[in-house]
Amino acid sequence: MALIKIQKPQAEKPAERAHPRDFSGLVAELSHEKPMSRRWAARDLAEYPEATVALVECLKQEPDTSVREVIFTALTHIGHFSAVLGLVEFLHSEDAALRNEAIDALKQMPDEVAPVMHGMLMDANSDVRIFAVNILESLCHPMVESWLIEVIESDPHVNVCATAVDLLGEVGSTAAREALLGLKERFPDEPYVHFAADLALRRIDEG
Amino acid sequence: MKADPEAAQSMISEDDFLKFQEYFYRKTGIQFENAKRYFVDKRLIERIEATGSQSFRSYFTMLRFQASGEELQRLTNLMTVNETYFFREEYQFECLVKSLLPELTKRRDKGLPIRIWSIPSSSGEEAYSIAIYLLEFWKGLAEWDIEIISSDIDTKILGAARQGIYSARSIQNLPARVLTKYFKRTSEGYQISMELREAVEFTRVNLSEPADTRSYRDFDIVFCRNLLIYFDELSRKTAAETFYDAMRPGGFLCLGHAESMSRISSIYKIRKFPEAIVYQKTLEAR
Repeated sequence: MALIKIQKPQAEKPAERAHPRDFSGLVAELSHEKPMSRRWAARDLAEYPEATVALVECLKQEPDTSVREVIFTALTHIGHFSAVLGLVEFLHSEDAALRNEAIDALKQMPDEVAPVMHGMLMDANSDVRIFAVNILESLCHPMVESWLIEVIESDPHVNVCATAVDLLGEVGSTAAREALLGLKERFPDEPYVHFAADLALRRIDEG
Repeated sequence: MKADPEAAQSMISEDDFLKFQEYFYRKTGIQFENAKRYFVDKRLIERIEATGSQSFRSYFTMLRFQASGEELQRLTNLMTVNETYFFREEYQFECLVKSLLPELTKRRDKGLPIRIWSIPSSSGEEAYSIAIYLLEFWKGLAEWDIEIISSDIDTKILGAARQGIYSARSIQNLPARVLTKYFKRTSEGYQISMELREAVEFTRVNLSEPADTRSYRDFDIVFCRNLLIYFDELSRKTAAETFYDAMRPGGFLCLGHAESMSRISSIYKIRKFPEAIVYQKTLEAR
């Protein structure tokens, strides 16, 4: 026995190619019984912007975490507006893991997320609005502070505002001053809001 | 005709840099932060000059649309960092022989060789270190066949790895006994023995390109150290998922000391061995 060189990387085994690797073949492969085949199908579908609908549909019933991760990565690679719309749907999901993965994926697509951010922040469901603020947490976009100001100026739910004010404490500038003072007036009986707003104001004043 | 370097430098505007940054990331998965601007500009200017291009714009057009892709490969070679040395982060090689291989061999049929993938290969120090460690410190080699494949995106550095000639700096951590046993002093430096050069297969792979990695399968152990730190989040995730499909169930992934899979992906199980933390594709994974 020894150090050997016998198995060079070889071509994919034919048995694992149940369908042709064109668009419709890959979409069909997303239902393959083997998770590895489903992962490879999702990975290859990242080349097709039109695959977002199929990938999003697949996520709704995919039981295997590893396949789900690859699908999320594929959707992020596609980075198309339709992928964002599909991912936003998952913010309403009862499945916490699916929701968190969608949030993580959306954080990586600032330019594509920007056009729908206002809509997410106006969602009827306050939990979804909190998730939208969670996305802002690490969204590399110049509008982040403006969106947060918009939240604390108008959102009626204290928890949404509390999440936003926490973040403003980290990223806020003097532009957020008036809104922070206004927030304290809007929620006079919420000690946490006052505490967080004062903290944010102090940080802003300290520069 | 050669471009004037100063003129070329002034030709690479902020917009040009951003354009190049985005394109290079898309093609290779390597993200250059703005802080790397000088590093990138210097190499771009070198290639603008070498290709006789009149401007960044004409060079970039050639780079993007050249049918052979030769210039992109040349530039990639220039942009990737290739510094490493023998027995770097040695505790992981200890982990390999003291913990990983004993666990793997307990559940394996002896007829099947153990496959190790070292990526990025760079000039071969890591792959050869693994080979030396196995020869020196793993008695199991008497009973098992081991295959080592080492890959890199840079074809030039792969050539150097196959040649196996190293500087004094590169071999400085090797015990004198090991150096004498496996290296020969030449006018160019220290050349690793033919036995070891023949024991490692060096291949060209772009980790961000599924067509390149698709055939990499059935590995028991993957070493990918100090590469993912240069990747952005999406490329890191892609790499983690690629390794997952390249490994057999129960396989181990070794990352560099500053890297953590927990921040990249949740599909691996964290294994804490006395020598090191490694990441495992579970036995149940399919």
